[in-house]
Amino acid sequence: MFESIRLRILQGDPIVHDVHNPGLPPLFRGMPQIQPEKCPHGCTICVDLCPTNAISLNPLKIDLGTCVFCPVCEQNCPEQVIHFTNEHHITCSSREQLVVSGTEHRITPEIASEKIRSYFGKSLKLRQISSGGCNACELELNALSNVNFDMGRFGIEFVASPRHADGIVITGPMTATMAEATQMCFDAVPDPKIVILFGACGISGGIFKDSPELNREFLEQHPVDLFIPGCPPHPLTFITGLLDWLDKK
Amino acid sequence: MSFLSVQNHRPFHISDIPVISVSEFENSIRQSLQAGFRLISLFALNPEKSEKTVLVVLSNPLTSSISLTATQFSKDDHRFNSFASDFPQTNYFECELAEENLIIPNGHPWLRPVRKQSTVLGDQPYSLYQMEGEEVHEVAVGPIHAGVIEPGHFRFQCHGELVYHLEIVLGYQKRGIENLLLSANSRQQTILCESIAGDTTIGHSMAHVLGIEALAHTNVSLKTQVLRSIAEELERVAMHLAGLGGIANDIGYAIGASSYGRLRTLVINGLALFCGSRFGKGFLVPGGLQFDPDEEAIEKLKSNLTTVLNDVSAINLVLFDSTSVLARLDHTGTVTREWASEIGMVGPAARASGIDLDTRSQFPYGAYRYFPIPLITLGTGDVFARTRIRALEIEDSIRFIFEQLDNLPAGTTQTKVHDLQPDSGVISVVEGWRGEIVHSLFTGSDGKLTRYKIKDPSFHNWYGLALALRNEAISDFPLCNKSFDLSYAGHDL
Ligand code: SF4
Repeated sequence: MFESIRLRILQGDPIVHDVHNPGLPPLFRGMPQIQPEKCPHGCTICVDLCPTNAISLNPLKIDLGTCVFCPVCEQNCPEQVIHFTNEHHITCSSREQLVVSGTEHRITPEIASEKIRSYFGKSLKLRQISSGGCNACELELNALSNVNFDMGRFGIEFVASPRHADGIVITGPMTATMAEATQMCFDAVPDPKIVILFGACGISGGIFKDSPELNREFLEQHPVDLFIPGCPPHPLTFITGLLDWLDKK
Repeated sequence: MSFLSVQNHRPFHISDIPVISVSEFENSIRQSLQAGFRLISLFALNPEKSEKTVLVVLSNPLTSSISLTATQFSKDDHRFNSFASDFPQTNYFECELAEENLIIPNGHPWLRPVRKQSTVLGDQPYSLYQMEGEEVHEVAVGPIHAGVIEPGHFRFQCHGELVYHLEIVLGYQKRGIENLLLSANSRQQTILCESIAGDTTIGHSMAHVLGIEALAHTNVSLKTQVLRSIAEELERVAMHLAGLGGIANDIGYAIGASSYGRLRTLVINGLALFCGSRFGKGFLVPGGLQFDPDEEAIEKLKSNLTTVLNDVSAINLVLFDSTSVLARLDHTGTVTREWASEIGMVGPAARASGIDLDTRSQFPYGAYRYFPIPLITLGTGDVFARTRIRALEIEDSIRFIFEQLDNLPAGTTQTKVHDLQPDSGVISVVEGWRGEIVHSLFTGSDGKLTRYKIKDPSFHNWYGLALALRNEAISDFPLCNKSFDLSYAGHDL
């Protein structure tokens, strides 16, 4: 028993208290700052190099829903038009919001409807579905329950059974072999329920978007409530995104 | 026996690979396996053709040699005599060859689907193994499991609590990476390889960049090699800590689970100091590294690792000294040395069963050629050994990282990559945290990749998990599973 107490003392206070200002490493890539006005006429370097075709021109925009934050564009731009800051507030509530340009500091999802907030504002239980996820997203979602991020303190938790869940979190590009299980799992969640896409693969297929092995029909039938970009997204992008969406301080 | 003998990460001309008759091919493989070679890849070089050339890659860890030979199957005769009854390590490779290329191993004891789930050999339906008997029952789990993990289906044949047989059905994660790699440009290839298994981002990117650099006759600086190895060891430490945390969690040892989890955060945040990503995404690229860590990052990483080294030994002391913990780990899920070697197990799981197998010391590459890392083995092959070996490897890896950080060579971290040599191939083997990763790359006459074959360590070890469950209580499945901690995505590709 004394050993256990000693271990508890060793733990110290590892929790990230302020999830909005955690002081992420300077190299961490979150919200990009884009200054298209500095683009030299006719330059297409970033568009040609981007591995996921996330960049469009006139004016230069990045689709964070496909971007894997690699960051080849930033490294190769002759005019430093693109710079990824370590700002982790990049969760959105609509697909369009993910296509960014300019020097907006952060993204805030639209606040959820009053019904959703009254149902899930105090307690939100989620069932995760991995559908071709490489285990990076899955590990980051797992990390949400560790002593550093401790998402449970906000009343948000992952549960084993879809019957106990209020929504699903999908990771991975959505493989054809998981289509049926995904649908069955979603059907087992009682109404009202939400859908969250976690990571570039889930949002758009990411680097796998042209793979013939995918089946993303599920997303044509069910609206998505939250998009959490990244490859993988930072756990704090998930927490702050949900808190902002549920309008919790 | 006619083989082309090659070295790890050394390019060769495809035309130098002997193409022998099917019967010679069978004899050569049989003799090599008898002589202690391991099968590390078996695939068609030209899967799109009707006359397929099948290549076998064998490795001998004792002599650090890799041998290749090939045979051609005619349009109408796609058969060879299976090795699997005598050498079970070839079983799954033969299943894969049958599934992907319809090349049929005659006399194979049990052809199963590998990634296609319900079919074997094109259209023949497959039904899972089933036991019969009055008190026999079957338990089906997955593809979606209780935790936040990847999908796979497990089918247990039980008698009461006791598991007689476990069949593992995978393929839910299939994204078709090997084919995508052929149509991708070089930057896309790097990202695809990082995503083969995200928990092994560094391991698989290492195999990829070393393969590409070999084909392009490009030498990278010593500094690049050292920093890459540091990243590889950081990944190993992080995932071993995740494994220890998972094991502690599965036996209900909460303070251990949370402590290991906290230390893993320190390690992956350390990796993020180097390259911005907690998984090392974007760090390794052909020709070097995308980031060159500064003094501040290095100092911060050292301080994180000092905490890890200190705390981990305190936790281990409690974990490995507690009777109730040991009672759960000892003699649970045993894979004997004989079994492990017969089925070709790799990585820490194999070393826990007493098998001398570690690419870092037997086929050294990059910085491991100059700064060797010790090969550790244990003997019992149970959950205890697979837990203990993680603890031991963590200590060695951190020691290695400190040594390298204290003597970081000067120099550049970016070298220009030349064009890939045409009509060439390379076998790239590295030791990911789960064990041996093999990437086999081949180019056509225009220097473009024409074939890319990947073998994740999980490809061997899933079968080890199935064996570990024989005659175990089904309630010990989560613990056994965690002690292997295998990749679904890496298997399914
Ligand atoms: S960081 Fe995103 S937008 Fe830039 S090149 Fe990489 S994937 Fe494309």
